Amino acid sequence: MPTIEGTAVRHVVVACEAGMGSSVLLTNQLASRLKGYGVEVTHSPVNRLTDDTGDVVLCHVGLVDRARQAAPNTVVMGFNMFMGDPAFDTLEAAIRDGASLDV
Amino acid sequence: MSEVSPAPVLSREGIQLGLATVDRDTAVDQAGAALVALGAVEEGYPATMHEREAMVSSFVGAGVAIPHGTDAGRAMVRRAALAVLQYPEGIDWDGQTVHLAIAIAAAEDEHMAVMSRLAQVLLEPDAVQRLRTTSDPDDVLALLAPS
Repeated sequence: MPTIEGTAVRHVVVACEAGMGSSVLLTNQLASRLKGYGVEVTHSPVNRLTDDTGDVVLCHVGLVDRARQAAPNTVVMGFNMFMGDPAFDTLEAAIRDGASLDV
Repeated sequence: MSEVSPAPVLSREGIQLGLATVDRDTAVDQAGAALVALGAVEEGYPATMHEREAMVSSFVGAGVAIPHGTDAGRAMVRRAALAVLQYPEGIDWDGQTVHLAIAIAAAEDEHMAVMSRLAQVLLEPDAVQRLRTTSDPDDVLALLAPS
């Protein structure tokens, strides 16, 4: 299972199927939340992910398997809800406190 | 260089308020038909919206769903456009109640400004309430595409 230290996270990628809807919304919301930590947030269709796309990938739980296949050495965090999912708090806390992410 | 400015991503023609309650599949049909009517997508695009919905629901919270096509469906996008469909009584969207279906067509990131507004609006309960209940398309334009 890939692991990353919160302090090493500089680029978060939000992935969804098409990369034109939900991931765009979430990217906007997360970008304003993580801006203060100097973390960049971008979005990508899940099929175009590679291990070089970003440091951490966030995607809906239904797409986690596809994201892990596309980026096997990258930490992939799944979420259920586009707004208010605990995964976003976990990510922000790890970046803020420098904790390990190994989900 | 053309001097004609491109059609706006969200226009009055793309706003349908006060729609009757339907089931989710019918709402996705209506959302797809709205994009076709706008000339934003080819007729094959709505089928990819159903495909996308079957993979992961496009419900995003706050009574809003954002039906859109698949990555493959991008090839059938002629221009970026949004359509706003309002269901005042709410419709059942995979167990969630949806009052607004916002249909999306985009090949690249041309719709970023409106999406960024939408991301903000979804975090403001009063604004969401207005989108759900207004009968004036100008309210929708003012909230999502302020000029």
